[in-house]
Order: sequence, then C-alpha cells, then structure tokens
Amino acid sequence: MTTYVGSRVPRVDSVDKVTGHAIYGVDVALPGMLHGAVVRSPYPHARIVAIDTSAAEKAPGVKAVVTGKDFPHLFGAAIKDQPFLAIDRVRYVGDPVVAVAATSEREAQYARDLVRVEYEQLPAITDMRLALADDAPLVHPDMHTYERGGHEIIPHTNCNTLYRYQRGDVEAAFAEADLVVEGEYSAHAVSHVALEVHVAVAQYDQFSGDYTLWVTTDRPFFLRDDLAGGLGVDGSKVRLKVAQVGGSFGAKGVPIAEAIAAVLARNTDGRPVKVELTREECLIASQLRVPAIMKLKTGVNKDGFMIARSADVLWDSGAYTAYTVGVAIRGSQTIVGPYRIPNLRILSRQVYTNKAITGSYRGYGTTQVTWACESQMDEIARELGIDPVEFRLQNGYEEGDSYLNGQIMHGVGLRETIETARDEIGWGSVDRAPAPHLRRGKGIATMIKPTMTPSSSNVVINLGEDARVQVVCAAPEIGSGQDTVLAQMAADAVGVPLDDVSVPATDTALTPYNGPVASSRTTYHMGNAIVSAGNEIKGKILELAGKTFGVDPDYLEMRDGEIFDGEGELLVTLKNLLARYHGEGLSLTAGGRYTSAQSQLLKANPGEEWISSIFWMLCTQAAEIEVDTETGVIRVIKVAASADVGKAINPLTCEQQIEGGVVMGLSNGILEDFKISNGRIENGTLADYKVATIQDMPEIVPILVESVHNEAPFGAKGIGEPAAAATPPAIANALFDAVGIRITDLPITPEKVLAALSEKKEAEPGD
Amino acid sequence: MTIHLESTINGRSVGINVDPTLTLLEVLRENLFLIGTKEGCGVGECGTCVVLLDGTPVTSCLVLAGDADGRDVETVEGLAPDGELNEVQQAFVKSGAFQCGFCTPAMVLSATALLRRNSSPNEEEMKQALGGILCRCGAYPKILEAIIAATGEGA
Repeated sequence: MTTYVGSRVPRVDSVDKVTGHAIYGVDVALPGMLHGAVVRSPYPHARIVAIDTSAAEKAPGVKAVVTGKDFPHLFGAAIKDQPFLAIDRVRYVGDPVVAVAATSEREAQYARDLVRVEYEQLPAITDMRLALADDAPLVHPDMHTYERGGHEIIPHTNCNTLYRYQRGDVEAAFAEADLVVEGEYSAHAVSHVALEVHVAVAQYDQFSGDYTLWVTTDRPFFLRDDLAGGLGVDGSKVRLKVAQVGGSFGAKGVPIAEAIAAVLARNTDGRPVKVELTREECLIASQLRVPAIMKLKTGVNKDGFMIARSADVLWDSGAYTAYTVGVAIRGSQTIVGPYRIPNLRILSRQVYTNKAITGSYRGYGTTQVTWACESQMDEIARELGIDPVEFRLQNGYEEGDSYLNGQIMHGVGLRETIETARDEIGWGSVDRAPAPHLRRGKGIATMIKPTMTPSSSNVVINLGEDARVQVVCAAPEIGSGQDTVLAQMAADAVGVPLDDVSVPATDTALTPYNGPVASSRTTYHMGNAIVSAGNEIKGKILELAGKTFGVDPDYLEMRDGEIFDGEGELLVTLKNLLARYHGEGLSLTAGGRYTSAQSQLLKANPGEEWISSIFWMLCTQAAEIEVDTETGVIRVIKVAASADVGKAINPLTCEQQIEGGVVMGLSNGILEDFKISNGRIENGTLADYKVATIQDMPEIVPILVESVHNEAPFGAKGIGEPAAAATPPAIANALFDAVGIRITDLPITPEKVLAALSEKKEAEPGD
Repeated sequence: MTIHLESTINGRSVGINVDPTLTLLEVLRENLFLIGTKEGCGVGECGTCVVLLDGTPVTSCLVLAGDADGRDVETVEGLAPDGELNEVQQAFVKSGAFQCGFCTPAMVLSATALLRRNSSPNEEEMKQALGGILCRCGAYPKILEAIIAATGEGA
C-alpha cells in the first residue's frame, strides 16, 4: 500500500518556481566575481598561424587571457578528441580559441574584440555524404592517435564510429519477400534551446589545486570527469555544485561554459569567473542533435509480417564526438523499431565534419531513427493495403518476445499504447476537406527506446532526530519533476509524510556517485536505490519501536510518519518515538545502491549482452493534422500520445513529460530549421530559428499505460525521452493520409509540402 | 555618468542612480537583485524577461532603464508580497504548469496581467497573451489549463 506513489501530488519545487525564488546557474554570483568572454573561429576549418593577445591583456579590467596552448589536454566521452580551446587548428565556425576574463561582462567583451588571430583557411568538409570520399579533407588527421574506448573507427578517414550488426540471412529473406520497400530518410540538426543558456562559475584554489564550479547540468559526474580531462587533473580535484537547471534535454552534459570558466579561473588570483554564453553562442557553438541520413530496406510477406530489414545509417558528429558515438551505435540498433524482424543487418557510420558539435539530445538517436522506421512502416502498410495500425500491432513486440540480441523483453505495453492512441484519435474517420483549400488526415507512429545499461545509482538517506528525511543523491532536477518523484518514493519507502522529505541539491563532493540524469533512467535506477535505503531505515525504526514497546517489529508497519501495530492500531508517531531518544541524538542513515549489471533480465545471446536494456520505453502517437494546400502550412489539430510508463509514480509529472515531448517533437518536426551554408549557421537567433509557442500547440491527450516492470521501483520505468520521438512521423503519416504526399527529409516545411503537392499534381494530371 | 530613476517597483518607491546604457532587465537583476526575472536571449526573442510596466507586459531586455523612470514596474517578486501566492500562481502549482521553471515568472506575470484587464478571456486570447514567451519544456497545455482555472472557469 502506498500513500504518495501513484498520487497526483503538486511538485515539490512548485513555490520556488512560481515565485521566481529558484536559483539557477545564471543567478549564481560570488564576491569578486569576474566575467568571461570567448574569441571564436569565424572559419569552418583553419590553421591558427598566430594569436596576438597583447592589446587585450592591456585593456581595462582584464585579469586573464588564456589560449589553447595553456591547456594541451583532450577530453571526450568515447574519443578524447577535443581541447577546451583550439590548439593549432579550428574545426567549426564557433570553435573557441581565446578566453578573456575581466571585472565586468562589457570589459571582457571589449577585450575579446582586441584579440587578433591569424588563420590560414583549410579545405572544409561540411557535407556528411562527402566526408567518406577518398579525397575528403580530414577534420582530425590524428584521430588514430587519440585515446578512445573499445569501439571501431576507420583510421585515416573522417569515420569516427563504425558499427555493424547482423542476424539471420537478410539477402535470402529479401529474395523470399512478397514486397520489399526501400527508402532514404534524413533527420536534421536541431538545437536543444534550453531557455537558460550555458553558464558556469568557476573558482580555483592555488594552494590545493582544487577547482569548484557552480553549474547547471544533467550529468554531474560525467561532466566532472570531462572537465578534469580537459584541465589535465584528476577527477578528485574538480567539485561541481549544481544549481537549478533551466532546461537541458541532453544539452548540459559536456563542458561548454564550464570549460571556459575553469581555464580562466586557473589564471586569476583565486577570483571566481562567470561565463554565460549568449543565445547565439548556444545556437551555433554548444551542441546540436546529430543529423542522420538513413537508408532503410524492409521485406514483408503478403500476410503483412516483416521478415527482413537492412539499414545503412550515416551520422554527422560535427567537429568533435562528444556523446555522439553512443548515439551512432545505440541509435542505429533502434532503427529496427519495436518489431519482430528475424533477419537484420545494420551498418552505422559516423563522420566528422567541419560543423557545430552534435551530441545527446532527448532520445539519444531515437528521434532520428524513429523518423525513418515509422515513415517506412506507413509506406509498407499502404502498399500492402493493410491498415497502418493493424500492421504495427501484428508485428509489434509483446511481453516475453525476444529483442534483437535474444534478450527476453519484460514490461512491454506496446499493444496497449497503440490501441489507446488509435481509439483516442478516432482512427478511421476524418472530416477530409473542411474547406476547399484545407485537407485533413490522421497518422500514427510508435517507438521503442532502451535505457543506458548497465548503469548504477547510489543514494544516502538520512533520517534526523527531527523526523525529517534527506534523500542525498546526485540527480539534479532538470525540470522533469524528478525531485518530486524521488521524494514520493522515499516518503513511501521510509513511511514518512512527503512534506518531511527533502532532496538536497547535487554537490559532487557530498552526494554519492550517480550515472547521468539521462536516458530516462533516474526514476527507475535512483528509485530502486531509494527503495532499498528507505526500507532499511524503516526496518531500523520498526526495530526501535519494537524494542521500546516490547513488541515484535515484524508485526509493525510505518506509514506517513505513524507506526501501527499488527491490528492496524496506532502505536506511536515517528516524531514521538524519536523524541524519546532525544538525549542520545538518534539519527539513522542508510545507503542504497542499484545497478542493473547483474540483473537476470539482461540475459542475452553470448557476446551481445551489452545490447540489452533493463527496461524498454514504448510510446505511440496518433495525430490529426490539417494542411493548407495553397500555403503548404500544416496545423496539427490533435495528438493522442500514449506511453508505457510501467507505473506512474506521479501522473501529473508523467503527463508533463508526454505533453512537453509532443510540443518538442512538433517543433523539431515542422518548425525548426537551421540554414547552414559552408558549415556556418546563418540563422543563429530565436527570431529566425523558430521554436513552438503556445500558439502552435495542438490539443494533446496524454495517455498513461502501466505495464508494470517487476524489477522497477513500484513498477515504474522512464518517460522523459520517448514522447518526443513519435510526433514527427505521426505528422508525416497524417500528411500522407491527407494529401498523398510523403516528405522523407525533416523538417516538414511548407516549401517541401508545396513542392511535393505540385510534383504530385504533375504526375497525376487528371487528379 | 549616471541617471537617476524614481520608479515604483513592486509597490515600493525606489530611487537609484544607474548607468544610462543599462536595460531595465540589467537594473532589476544586477542593481536591485530581483533575479526572478530571467534572461534567455537578451534581444527580445524568447520572452523570459517579461515584467509589467504600468501593468503591461514588456520584454525588459529591450527597455532602457531610463524608460522606467516615473513608472510602475512589477516583477514576479511582487506577486506574492505577503507570502500568499496570487490566483495565477496557485493555479500554476495545482495544474503543474511549469517544468524547469525558467519561463515561469514571465508566464505568471503575463497571465496575471491578462486576467487583470479581462477577467474571462477565451483560449485564443490566452494563447495570444502568452504567445511571445517560449517554454521549451512544452508546459503549454498545463499553462493553459492553469489560466482557465484561475478565471474560475475550470473550477
């Protein structure tokens, strides 16, 4: 029985946020704080011939000027390929070259403009398709010498990731198939546009050699290690204190402002340095979603069963790899979709280009591959003359099916997500033409996403003599409501009122190690750690109550701060029990840990265990749209978004994630469009890079499916990422339903719609 | 060189000497420490810096501080002066009309201003009033739900 889990309680950060009291990274200010500014490359690819900082150093208020040669260390998640400031060579427009710190932001900017950098331009590679050509200029001629993990690269080329997967005999199955459908799909670079810009304050202690940073991040320990790598120090020398995070969506995990702030702080006399990027810097020189070109071929038999699929995926990491190697590997696996397909072949390659860095973005590759997979699913269904919903149900994973590596899947509510989305949108009926120039249609798309596996979470739960509970963990609230969800789980696990639970801010010197707040993993992993520690605390309290009142603790239960006996009668309140021991200063602490590493659920084909996932996210969306055939403008009328959350710890925060995901998916899919010319982003402003407003919002109906996962805390899985992935293909499939045109390259802009309509008209003159 | 401002800020008279090149946003955040007002772009494109100037929502990053002289400025800090959340704030809490919260002060102020001048706006008017403020978390459905609730219609 739970008191808070499953309940729609208001978020614990409510009052702080509606009153403006929450302190974000941009709000951090320290005594004597300096401000930083960055000189960035104006060229996509160039050799740095000379840097003259003499004028900047003499400018008013300047306290530090730093160049790449001061920090000749490389960092990176899978390949250590990136310096904090460019060394000898710049690789994209916006690559940081020189950093300046001064007593005010304006002085720093003034001094920055006095820095003179002489460049010799080099041939730039800005098209990922050309990056693998024999004569392509190399973005990283020394790639083969870089320190890296175990994944494959193609040395002396631009290919920084090579991944292959094969099962069965794909060619034989294609030959046997009654229908083979082939297509090429592309997903574009989009920006996270977290409304809080990249920002950090750093301070360096000359005596201990320790760096302390006040940051806004979703992955404190990973960021700490990347910072230590770039600074050339041990991870123990870097401490991160995490403020409220004004949105991340995957953006705030790599050193961006943090790197600049740290190198500047190292060169002051101990004064802290704040670096706050401009919005334009965030758009052109932070991180974008990895663009992908996906060739997809699927064979089906005439009964509508998929028998083979091959995929050739090309990913564009931009100038440095950051978190993209994982995207290119895990993302490519997901192009199979949530479907049983016996014969598979996947080739995934990722290339460097002289463009802005790309990286993790809500969905970690899933938004890109779902676009290809679900567009093609629709094409196949229509060619076969099968209803697209039925086609998905017929091929979709069910509980107990095996994943592509042989893992037996558990907690699979796919069917229910498809059926509920279908019913909510009113599948099968549509008012086709509400006006002569308007056409309506409905479309459906589904998706699957694994979570980072294996991974671990640790928590320390303290119960003080004041009967208050602290949930000490390194899981920063990035907006997803997880402080609330973690507090709810802790309140039930320990058995105390929610109001008596706090989740202190992350500080890598105080909070135990945790994997990132990414991959929709926190509720599940940290939740399991919390349940373990919470139960231990509760056990100790019941033991104490038993001893105090001379009863067997096994017959006692604690809920909401009250201890009940075997008859369900109130024995004592927790506060009163602890008060009896006041003089002794009784406090209880328990550590909780969860790792998926040893789970029986991960059992898979030998050598392929790493492809397993401890849980699977499944989400289906059905969309109704209206297209104006004169302007090409799409209006999304309604989206029914159904997600298998395992168990909704808090239905309110689950709905928030789903609704927010749909808004982001819609925005990515039909509005956001970078204009990139020779590697240079030409529209690096929010006036020209259009992001969805409340006026673009359709009716959104979030639907929560609860498949219940046996190893999960209270049955709960993750929900942060899946909601954004299915929206663009659902819209594209609805567009096809409305007017019979298929857009395969994102975004679905009015220009592309008009061009496709006119092409269709020419092809069918009698229509 | 500085200029002298005499403004009413959150109901209190404030006299302050400031650099005339500063924006209202900079003065609010850096001189008056009213950091509930956020900067998301600094060039009037994201709407997170909205404050009420004589009751009208403005992007404070585009208003020179001098233009606030003799006028009434209201920030999010002024909405709950005695610790009691206003109706819009209460509705935002109940509906969960925020996620990361960075745009929330601007959303709450704009919604409050709307309801002061029109106690029963329709949905289109609500969307229009908030159309200049970006929320990347996509809290829009619940923001709309909260404003409807705050009008009493949702009760």
